[in-house]
Amino acid sequence: MRTSLRTNGALALTAVAALGLAACGAGSKTASSTAAQVTCDVAKPSKPTTVNVLAYNSSAIDPYTNTMVSSCSKNDYTLKHEPIDFPGQVQKTTATLAGASGTYDIVETYGFVIPQYGSQNKLAPLNDLFTKYADSYKLNDISKDMRAAMTYDGKLYALPMQAQMYIMAYRKDVFDQVGLQPPKTFEEMKTAAKTIQEKAGIKYPIALPWLATGDIVTSYDCILGSLGVNLTNFDTKTANFDKPQAKQALDEMIALKPFMDPQVTTFAQPAVQQQMYNGTGAIAIMFSGRMNDLTLEKNSKYAKSFAFAAPPKVAADSAKLYDTLSVDGWSIPNNTAVDKDALFQMIASSVSEEASKASLPAAYPARSGMVSDSSSPYAAAANVSITSAPPAEPYPWTADVSNKITPIIANAVLGKITTDEAVVQMQQAATAAIAAAK
Amino acid sequence: MKKREFWMLVTPSLVVMVGLLAVPLYRTIEWSLQNVNYGDPGTFIGLSNYTTALTDPRFGRAVVFTVGLTLVVTAILLVLGYLLAVAVNRLHRMRPIVLGLLLLAYVIPGLVGATMFSWLFDSNFGGPVNYLIAHVTGQDLLWFTDTWPNRVVLTLNIVWFLLPFAMLVILAGLQSVNPEVLEAAKIDGAGPFRLHWNVIIPSVSGVIGFVILISLMDVLRVFDPLVALSPQAAAIGNESIMFYIYSVAFKDGGQQLGLGSAINVLLIIIIGIMLIPSIRATAREGSR
Amino acid sequence: MTISATQDVVARKVLGADEPPRRRRFTGTSVLVGGFLILTCLAMLSPIVWTAMSVTKPTDVAFLNPPVFTWQPTLDTFVDLWQTTNFYQYVINTLVVAVISTVLALVLGLPAAYALSRAPGWISTLLLVVALIFRALPRFAVVLPIYDLARSVGLYDTTFALALALVAINQPFTIWLLRNFFADIPTTLDEAAMMDGCSRFQVLRRVMLPLMGPGILTAGIFVFLFAFQEYLTATILTDVNARTVPVFIATQLGQTLPMLQQAGAAAVLFTIPAIAFAFIAQKYIVAGLSAGSVKG
Repeated sequence: MRTSLRTNGALALTAVAALGLAACGAGSKTASSTAAQVTCDVAKPSKPTTVNVLAYNSSAIDPYTNTMVSSCSKNDYTLKHEPIDFPGQVQKTTATLAGASGTYDIVETYGFVIPQYGSQNKLAPLNDLFTKYADSYKLNDISKDMRAAMTYDGKLYALPMQAQMYIMAYRKDVFDQVGLQPPKTFEEMKTAAKTIQEKAGIKYPIALPWLATGDIVTSYDCILGSLGVNLTNFDTKTANFDKPQAKQALDEMIALKPFMDPQVTTFAQPAVQQQMYNGTGAIAIMFSGRMNDLTLEKNSKYAKSFAFAAPPKVAADSAKLYDTLSVDGWSIPNNTAVDKDALFQMIASSVSEEASKASLPAAYPARSGMVSDSSSPYAAAANVSITSAPPAEPYPWTADVSNKITPIIANAVLGKITTDEAVVQMQQAATAAIAAAK
Repeated sequence: MKKREFWMLVTPSLVVMVGLLAVPLYRTIEWSLQNVNYGDPGTFIGLSNYTTALTDPRFGRAVVFTVGLTLVVTAILLVLGYLLAVAVNRLHRMRPIVLGLLLLAYVIPGLVGATMFSWLFDSNFGGPVNYLIAHVTGQDLLWFTDTWPNRVVLTLNIVWFLLPFAMLVILAGLQSVNPEVLEAAKIDGAGPFRLHWNVIIPSVSGVIGFVILISLMDVLRVFDPLVALSPQAAAIGNESIMFYIYSVAFKDGGQQLGLGSAINVLLIIIIGIMLIPSIRATAREGSR
Repeated sequence: MTISATQDVVARKVLGADEPPRRRRFTGTSVLVGGFLILTCLAMLSPIVWTAMSVTKPTDVAFLNPPVFTWQPTLDTFVDLWQTTNFYQYVINTLVVAVISTVLALVLGLPAAYALSRAPGWISTLLLVVALIFRALPRFAVVLPIYDLARSVGLYDTTFALALALVAINQPFTIWLLRNFFADIPTTLDEAAMMDGCSRFQVLRRVMLPLMGPGILTAGIFVFLFAFQEYLTATILTDVNARTVPVFIATQLGQTLPMLQQAGAAAVLFTIPAIAFAFIAQKYIVAGLSAGSVKG
């Protein structure tokens, strides 16, 4: 008994010592402590205030988050940001906006959810604050189109920080080896994939994020958009899944399956990135914010072998690419207890010119004129992609419609229902969602 | 003991339990009869949450899956736990070491263990199990996309972290087997199988009942492993009832709190029903 | 050797501590059994071993498919985890919650368990049934209202609220466990002390507690373990300030490299106290688990 007590005591002591020693380095290199420092002169609050920031981790978002946290944590303001993955951000956004009070004071949002939260009055309109600080923070240099993407019903609900569009990343070494050029249509992409399968030994060359509970609907929407059709029609308040292109889009997805990993319906973007890191994928199409990771040697031995291009069109006569444009920005929840003026100054400083410059090459800043073709390996592709993306659908029911048709699309892609049944179900679900959005 | 003393000793604990166990339970039942959200007073809507839950195919699937998983895991735990207990019982000096190694799976938090488990099976992230299976059989099992392989992974994980508990409890029971009865049976010429089936197992039936009880109780409420091993649970029909409650009553900020609470109550009823035989047996044992 | 050590006796039996040394015979059965045990141990350890391997690999090969089995070991991931995230804070949170839970659980549970051990027999059966019933409850039925309460009182996202919730959830089991230990101490000691003029509380403090060392340790270890393992309650009741390690790991499951590897490092670091529990506190865990199953 005495010996075991002694060992217990010794162990406890070592543990405490280790903890104490290690505490010295704990959190010393948090990304925010190595971020760019920008001017953030917010007036001192009446009492020490903590500002909680909700933003997922990605090499494109992190520079803005970290700049904000490191530059504005002073004068009795402490900004806190915890690492979180994208599904986590989605869940916590819903949770924090749901009640009369929430945990987070600054929330990362994107164009897709702005109409929904705007129409529900969950986010604070920023028009007045924008005018007030436009000159001191040079806010008018933020692209007008991107500001429009974050506006609903005339009210600006988020300050844009960056744009993300689909980029096609491909293995240049494999393409050169089998004599291929980056595909310009889905047909070319399938032919290229077949060649790679046969000649380069990569079993599942095409890598797309088709997570059955999320990303798959974005992919469907992009195909539909490339075929020239929106999810819904705003003027007639009807859904478009009775059109032939709706079924065609599903068929296109199913036609890609032989070239994709059978587990693809469990892949969100990080898993697709991993496919590219592993070298088990040769062509990936996903958001530009995920491209920088591919070029880092720390992540993969193929880092130097990737090349980038704009995504292909679905059909040879498509006007738009298989593409989507999403604007990411900072918004202020209506239920925050912190002074909204101060919060606005913080987000304004995080999208300043120096901050935007510092976010290159990982991100495509919302400030006009920051990205030239040589800013990053994928800048040229981004500049092409951004002009040829299908139009966004900023209607209050778009998010709800997307959520409702997601499981149906997944079932169709997984072969559980036929594409004919699928479009019927999608039409029903979408019509109900439009009717419910009042 | 005098009444006053009794109550003074018991009251602090009772206050905490009533305030944080009984009252919340009552609130859940209250919520199940309302259309309510967190922080709302809620509007009474009678039993309509229950009808919604009971007519929802998703709930039915969750119940079938959870009950099936529970029965399978319990059976495996009994067999493997017994075999392991018998094997460990033969050890002498190595016993604490082997027990320690086996206990690790029980002590690690369920979520952490499930995360580690998921990396074993995830071929996109270099899972060695896939690698070995593909090497040996050339087959590629989709552990996270297909329903039944996913069920296998979930079963394996739950057995993994409950096995040490089952084994320990049965091992404890084995200590109280009467050696004289064993000797007598051996002298009578009983082979190893008869020895176990007719002599040992009946005498440890108490602990076996306990293992069944705890296993039923815990697996019916399984939640942590699904977070790591089956993020697509609903889509592939592997959603447990607790996971369903989470997505309905909390994940979206409580939009359907009333419905989630109704499912909570239904789950309590299901657990109660499945535990009745076990509780009866335990009460019988306790009063013996 | 303490009087109240019936549980200790049981534990020692389970661990085979008092058996006379036996001569080893390598029969066919013992080879079979040995093989079975080795295989089982390997299988049970494989997830932990594989993750430990993954986090000591350089980031670009950590999750490589097909997996690599030889690599240049490095501790970079641990350093990165420690320095680039708030992991230290999460560890502190987990520890604080565990310690507060344990202390509170014992402070509340000991008097109650003592009182119940000196109460008539039907009360103890009732207690067993109540403990079982509360243990069987789906956590959400209890935790969601506590979430609502915590938010309205302003205690949401604090270590104290989480600890209190865990104390309450584990009270029935704690009391039942402690009661069994108390029941092993003969009531003659109570009577003797009371004849000497002690009140009940003094009996508890001066006579019972010193004898309850193993019991307190066992119950304390279990409550600590439950708090340390908790994910569901922690994910509901915490957000930014009181985040614990399991919740942190869960928020990293959808990340890409290198954060995913850091989550693995966090998991491995969390295994170290688990190893301490499994080996050093083994006797108490065994005692506690056996206490439930073996009747007297």
